[in-house]
Amino acid sequence: MLLKNTWNEFIKILSKPRSYLGVGALTLLIAIIIFAMKADGKSIISFVTASFEQTLTFNGHILNGYLIAFIILQMLIVHVPLLVALVTGDLIAGEAAMGTIRMLATKPISRTNIVLSKFIAGAAYTLFIILWMGFLALFVSTAIFGTGDVIVLNSDGLVILPEADVLWRFGAGFCVAFLSLLTVSSLSICLSAFAENSIGPIVATMAIIILFTIIGSLDVTVFDSIKPYLFTTHMASWRSFFEDPVPWSAIRESVIILVVHNIVLVTVAVIRFNKKDITS
Amino acid sequence: MRKIAQLFLLLALPLFTGAQTADDVVSKVLTKLNSVKDYKVSATIKANIPMIKILPNEATIYFKQKDKFKVESKGITILPKQGFTDINNFLAKKDYIAVINDTVTTGGVKTYLISVIPNSAGGEMILAKLWIDPERSVIMKSQITTKSNGTVTTSYTYGDQVKYGLPSKMVFEIDIKKFKLPKSVAADINKSSAEKKKKAGNKGTITITLTDYAVNKGLSDSIFK
Repeated sequence: MLLKNTWNEFIKILSKPRSYLGVGALTLLIAIIIFAMKADGKSIISFVTASFEQTLTFNGHILNGYLIAFIILQMLIVHVPLLVALVTGDLIAGEAAMGTIRMLATKPISRTNIVLSKFIAGAAYTLFIILWMGFLALFVSTAIFGTGDVIVLNSDGLVILPEADVLWRFGAGFCVAFLSLLTVSSLSICLSAFAENSIGPIVATMAIIILFTIIGSLDVTVFDSIKPYLFTTHMASWRSFFEDPVPWSAIRESVIILVVHNIVLVTVAVIRFNKKDITS
Repeated sequence: MRKIAQLFLLLALPLFTGAQTADDVVSKVLTKLNSVKDYKVSATIKANIPMIKILPNEATIYFKQKDKFKVESKGITILPKQGFTDINNFLAKKDYIAVINDTVTTGGVKTYLISVIPNSAGGEMILAKLWIDPERSVIMKSQITTKSNGTVTTSYTYGDQVKYGLPSKMVFEIDIKKFKLPKSVAADINKSSAEKKKKAGNKGTITITLTDYAVNKGLSDSIFK
């Protein structure tokens, strides 16, 4: 029954125009980035290497598809949560607003399973978004720009990763990025269980992400104790796969914290939905 | 009168003893370098720079007189901006004053330490210090100070191509104090300011091992386009 209901939930997601809005926006954004890189990529790259180029010269195929894919991921991972929340924030509250939630509750399925099926359907949509982003970022970029070594700039300096050592990093990075977005999906479903209309959970999800991101970026010692527990701190963990050596313990910690967030948020959503008065 | 005579004798001493002047030493080096019309060489480039992590890489270097220079590599390679052709170009202009400062042993070889100062202040070069082996007429070490790129010290090791003055190994020591990361790009919210302030040393090295020279085989200009 859970699987059947999950399938129904997924069909509901597919039947809403807003689900395609996210995919369309993502496609347009990536197309714009690829066009910008094709038109003026070299000057964008020199912005990164400028301070080194006083003393050094960089030779080789720097502006390649792998680098573009990395840039796309870095630019969009901030905005994709909105596209996910736009759909998942509506899953429970949307039904409450339309009144269909009562009909749903008459089915021979527990309220817990209703929430779980919505969570699984939301996860499937999130996975689709990530796969679509991966396809456009990686395959379309490499088809246009070719492959090559990747220059990554982080706070410690430049890391130049050889071409042969890049694909697994993208694969692992996409997996952690999926987990990050799944947390956003769970948060919006959880908030959705408390709301009677879908706007509230979507706006609240984005407000929480913005608030946590600002707290995480403020270099103030008073926040140091809470920063490691904010899920936004770990949303950029996919980037760690592009460090050398890979900080496995930090990645493991991020994955654990994101998984715990997901469990807690879904549990809260289940408890809340089980107690929710849907008769009035 | 006696003092003037003593000074004259002191200045003329190299002429009587057969010792070389700085110009002689430098011009012999230049003659040797000019005997190379073009070359192609395989290079293994290993960069050890505190703010840059890169694995050793293979490349092919092409050079053609007067200043055509190209590096071809499958992956990304990092090379010092100056050091390959700068000395040749600078010395070829013959617009400098060369002075022997000292006799120094570098890498087990007795060398003249010669300071080369440009006559005109308009150029990029401020000062070049050259450690020259007078026996083989090759540069064993150089220290070039330029206006925009700071100081780069290079050590040379020679092999089969010593007759052309072409090294088999070059070690560049680079000053990285000027390196600054763009804050907006390098922002890493997961690292505290204390972590970000952890800095490595101020010097980096690039070691280039050169093998399989093909000298004066006549390289086409199209390679450098």
